[in-house]
Parts: sequence; structure tokens; C-alpha cells
Amino acid sequence: MKKKFLATMMIVAMSASMLAGCGSKTDAPAADTSKDDAAADDAAAGDDAAATDDAAADGEQTITVWCWDPTFNIYAMEKAGEYYAKDHPNVKVEVTETAWDDLQPMITNAASTGETGELPDIILMQDNAFQKNAISYPDLFVDLTDSGIDFSQFAAGKLGYSTIGGRNYGVPFDNGAVIACYRTDILEQAGYTMDDLTDITWSRFEEISSDVQAKTGYYLVSERSGEADLLMMMLQSAGASLFNDDGSVNIADNDVLKKVIETFNSLAKNNALLVTQQNWDEYIKSFNSGSAAGAINGCWIMGSIQAAEDQSGKWAITNMPKLDGVEGATNYSNNGGSSWAVTSNCKNVELATDFLNSTFCGSVDFYGDILSKSGAIATWAPAAEADVYSEPSEFFGGEPVFTKIVDFATKTPANNTGVYYYEARDAVTTALTNIANGADMDSELANAQAAVEAQMQ
Amino acid sequence: MEKAKARRLSQSKRYNLTGWVFLAPAALLIAVMSFYPMIRCFIYSFQKGATFANMQWYGLKNYVRMFQDSVFMQSLKNTFVYFLIQVPIMLILALILASLLNNKDLRCKGFFRTAIFLPCATTLVSYAIIFRSLFSTDGFVNTILIKLGILDAPFAFLTNTASARAIIILALIWRWTGYNMVFYLSGLQNIEYSVYEAAKIDGASPLQSFFHITVPLLKPTILLTAIMSTNGTLQLFDESVNLTNGGPANTSITMSHYIYDTTFKYVPNFGYSCAMSMLILILVGALAFIQMKVGDKRD
Repeated sequence: MKKKFLATMMIVAMSASMLAGCGSKTDAPAADTSKDDAAADDAAAGDDAAATDDAAADGEQTITVWCWDPTFNIYAMEKAGEYYAKDHPNVKVEVTETAWDDLQPMITNAASTGETGELPDIILMQDNAFQKNAISYPDLFVDLTDSGIDFSQFAAGKLGYSTIGGRNYGVPFDNGAVIACYRTDILEQAGYTMDDLTDITWSRFEEISSDVQAKTGYYLVSERSGEADLLMMMLQSAGASLFNDDGSVNIADNDVLKKVIETFNSLAKNNALLVTQQNWDEYIKSFNSGSAAGAINGCWIMGSIQAAEDQSGKWAITNMPKLDGVEGATNYSNNGGSSWAVTSNCKNVELATDFLNSTFCGSVDFYGDILSKSGAIATWAPAAEADVYSEPSEFFGGEPVFTKIVDFATKTPANNTGVYYYEARDAVTTALTNIANGADMDSELANAQAAVEAQMQ
Repeated sequence: MEKAKARRLSQSKRYNLTGWVFLAPAALLIAVMSFYPMIRCFIYSFQKGATFANMQWYGLKNYVRMFQDSVFMQSLKNTFVYFLIQVPIMLILALILASLLNNKDLRCKGFFRTAIFLPCATTLVSYAIIFRSLFSTDGFVNTILIKLGILDAPFAFLTNTASARAIIILALIWRWTGYNMVFYLSGLQNIEYSVYEAAKIDGASPLQSFFHITVPLLKPTILLTAIMSTNGTLQLFDESVNLTNGGPANTSITMSHYIYDTTFKYVPNFGYSCAMSMLILILVGALAFIQMKVGDKRD
């Protein structure tokens, strides 16, 4: 009897777990609470979105949002929801945490199969991927150009990412303006000040950095081995891109790119750049506890720098060095950042755009609020008027760094990421690694160009 | 009497029917979940497009493109390097371990078997990340090697082509040896101890009995594990993504990793991704066929 009972229980458990996986949309949340491993992550997110869409019919409006990073984007979006609810108490903003690495395949899946019913109203999209997604799947995103949002108040460099054919498809969000942060105490030890590192060229930077390395053992910048972040930043600082305006590949004959690769390899050779292992944790460790006394990256790197609390007060921020001998070279660039896009699955586009307009494009107080808690720096120019923006940062030497960063963003040249951004970037990374190991630059770049062109079929 | 016979199915037919009824659900599931996608994939590989609704006919161009794609050819080469080096080493090691652990007089057999099998119970992502941190410039391995005086400065294991591949191979061996060992252990249970006794009486050394008794009698199991390992290694993905991320300049990227990149990271072109997947299918099929021809001597 006991055996039979046990066998029956097992069969019930197995069939119940099987059925939970194929539960209907509205039943799924209930089934999910009783089964733990049946539903996949994206099914759960989709079910949540669908369930809340049903609620919209009751007079209470819901805006569903998918984005990542609880301390940054999610925090900002939820705050925006609170601000909007003050004037529109019946509107609820529901945020579902979805990592970018999961979100991108979901977008691809939804668009390619035509099953866009699972997508939320608003998604956050990496700027680098914006062109690729919006051009591959033009039906997926809502044209926001005439929605009442004043796009002129956003930094041109940022806006370029979400503009396709002159039409706007995204609301720029977080600032990726490149900053150069250095340890002032190490600089002092070697006899330099922050002024020596402001508005300089890369050759001067190399001089100073290798000198500092020789005197103190610290490098003024680090980058992961085989990663193209610094390279792309240098490229964009001169307004150059891996693609021409007509979409053709610009690698083999790209003089700016050649200069960038030369500069980069020279830095590595002359001990001016610390090359870390190829993963993110190593990079962060290099300036938190390793031998890097500086970081040149998007302004979001501040959060990671501030993780080393014992270094408070010893850091300062300035602009990045510019390329030597290149026309149009500047000390400003951009790395990363994302924009909000409204998907075509949004049932109430007017509500979504009004929400974005009142908060991300309209509320100075909102930006001030999120700055202090999450460090999210705006690309919306009027946001710099918030008092919080001019508050000095104790960690970074008591300077009002946020106004500096918003200012940097306004001076950043736009670039053309192109649809095939990731292909080009990977090809250039491969070329860079080979060139650093002694291969001939022109042939490697020609190979990279051929590889990207082959992938552009 | 005849009426009864005509009405009811013969016993063998009834048994056949019962068998099919039991097989039907599983067969249906496999057909829908495995065979149907394979056939669709095959059809898509001759098309081109970013959405499944708008695929256009493209002929054999995807296949031609595949062989001109330098990154894909590199990934093919890398995958075969892993296959040719890792599979033999792992299977031989598993075989040796299994025959060692099959010894009746060995104490703590259960402990050893569990310990060797445990690695394959770990998740692929977590063990790849741990291996990555073990071999990083300030990781455990470098620290030990420097302390022992073998190295003066940390060696960047993962940014050097040969060592990056070696570490992936090492990780794979660590993980899957136990799995294959379990297969061999169960196969060894079927070999009567009296055969070994007879060999010992005849004066065979352990090595001789290993090569002339164990291996031939385990042929079916070895064939099984060889085919499974071939399949697994040709489809390698997690280690390439999490351990080396494609390795220095694509020198440790595997085919599945590249297919993932072309589908989700780059501008999507499903026809091309399907064509590459088809190639993996053909390769696995061909290799399995060769292995069966060599190893399977059933009458």
C-alpha cells in the first residue's frame, strides 16, 4: 500500500509540474507560485506583462517597463512612476527586471517570430544596439518624433543613437559621457596635478603616465585585454566611426582608426596602460585595489570607483586626452548609455509618451532626485539646473562633478554606430589583438573590413 | 471459434500494439520538439531574413558564405582541436579510473566514485566562471606557481591562445571524466570476474588484461560514450562564452558560440545561423557514423 501511495504521489507531482509549464497566460502567475522550475524566465516576464495589461481595462492604467540594474535604471524608472502618479494617480508603472543579455534575445525572438504580444510598453535599449534593432525591426518601435517630446534638449551625441533616417525612436536616458578619473594622491607623489591632465593629448598622457608608473608603480589607466572600449572611445572623440554615412564599412582606410590603434599600442608598450584580464571584475579590481590609479570610461564608472570607500576624497575628474594630429579631435567622447523606446505592443502610446515627456523630458526635480540616490546623470540639458547637480562630491575631491559631466556630454561628437556595430567592433577587437602581437596593421584591418563586409550580407 | 479469432487481434499483434501505444507519446514529443525544428531549420538554411515571417529564398548562398567566413572557419578549427585532444584523453582517463575503481578489494570505493562524479553535477556557467577566476592573473594557479618559484610574473593564461584552449580542455576533462566513468563502471559490472581470474592464472599482467579483456568487452559502452562526447564537444558553448569569451582574437571560440553571436548579438540573419547549425548536425552525424562503423560489430 505504501508503495502504491508513494507512486501515486510521484505521478501527481510530475504531472502537475508538467501542466504548470503549459498554463494559460492569466493562470500562469498562480501556477508559478506553486511550481518553482517549470516556467522559463522570459515566460514569467511575459506573463506578468500580460496580466497587468488585463488590469488596464479596469480604469487604472498600467505602463509596463523592462529594464535592468535595480540600483540604477530600475530605481530611476520607479521614481519616474512616482512623480507621474502625483498628477495622474490612476497610472501605475510596473517595472520588470530584465538583464540586457536576456532582453536583446527576447526582442529578437519577439520580432522575428512576430509574437510581439509579450513585449512591454517601454523598454530600455543599449545605445550601441539601438540602430541594429530599430533598422532590423522597424515595425517594433514607435516613432516618437511628433509625440510632443522636445528632443532638442538632449545632448546631440546621445540623440544620434536613437535617430534613424531623421526620426526619433528613443528617449535618451543615462549619460555615458567619458570622464577621466585619476587618483590625486598618486599624481601628487609623482609631482603632477589634475591641471597637467586636463585638455591634453594622448602623447602627453603617455609621457605623464609612464613617468608616474616609473615613479610610483601605478598606471593612470587600465583596460581589459582584447576589449575595444577604450579604442571606441578614442575613435568617437574625434567624431570618427567604423561606418560611413552611407552604411559602408570604414575600417581598412580609416586613418583615425589607425592613429587610435597606434596610440593604444604605444600606451601599452610604454607602460602607460595596464592591461588586465578579459573580464569586468578584473577591470574594476584594477582601480579598486590594484595598480591602476586612474580610469577613463563612461561616467557610470563612478559607481564602481566609489565602491572602494577607503579612497574617498582621493579621486578627481577631468576630460579625456585627445588624439594627436587628427582633425576634429576633441577631449570628449561617449561610452555606453541607453535610451527608452516605446514598443509597438504598447496599447496606449499617448500615455507612454506623455509619461516619458513629463518625467524624463520634463522634471528637473526628478533628475535631481535620482542623481543623489543612483548616480544616474541626465543627458537632458535642463536637468543640470537641479541644485543637486551643483553639489560638490566628497569622494571626488569636493568638486561639483555632475555639472562637469553634463557639460562634457554637450561637447561630445556624435558618431555613426551603424546597424552592424557589434560585427565591426568584434572584427576591430580581433585586429587589435593581432596587431598588438606583432601582425601588420594594414593587413589586419583589411581582414577586419572583409570580415565585416562578409557579415553584412 | 473462427469468429473469436477474427475479432480479436493475434497475441503478437496485440503486444506490438501495446508497445506502440507506450512509445507513441514519447515518439510524438520527439517528432514535434526535435525532428520538426530540424526540418524547419533545414528549410530556413536555404533562406535569408531577420523575421521568420519574411524569409526569402536564398539557395545555397548561406553554405557558400559559411566557408568563406573567416570567424566561422576559425571556430570550426577550434572546435576540432577540442574534439581531437579532449575526447580521447577524457575517455582513456575515464576507462582507467573505472577499471581502477572496479577493484573488489579497494576501500572507500563509494567515496572515490562520488568525488569523481561530482563535477558533472555542477552547473556549466558557475564552473566556467570559477575556472576563469582560478586562472586569472592574480588567481589561485598563478599565486601557487609564483610561490613555488616556477614563474616569476603572473602568466596570463586566458589571453594566450594555446593556454586558453588548454584551459578549456582541462575544464572539460575535469567535468566530464566522472560522467563517462560511471558508464564504464556499469559496463564493467557485466564482465564476469572469472574472466580476469582465468587471465591471472594464465600469467597476464594487469596491463595485458586491461587491453585484451576490458577494452574489447567494453566496446559497446566505449562506442556510446565516444558518440555522446563527440556530440557534446562539437556543440560546446558555455565554456567558450564564460571561460574565455571566444578567447584572444577568436582563437577559442566554438561554433555554437559563433552561431549565438550571429543570431542575437549581430544583426540577425536566421538563414545563416540555421545553415551553420546544419553543418554541426552533418558533422556530428558523419562522425557518429564513422565511429559506429569502426566500433559496432553486432551481427
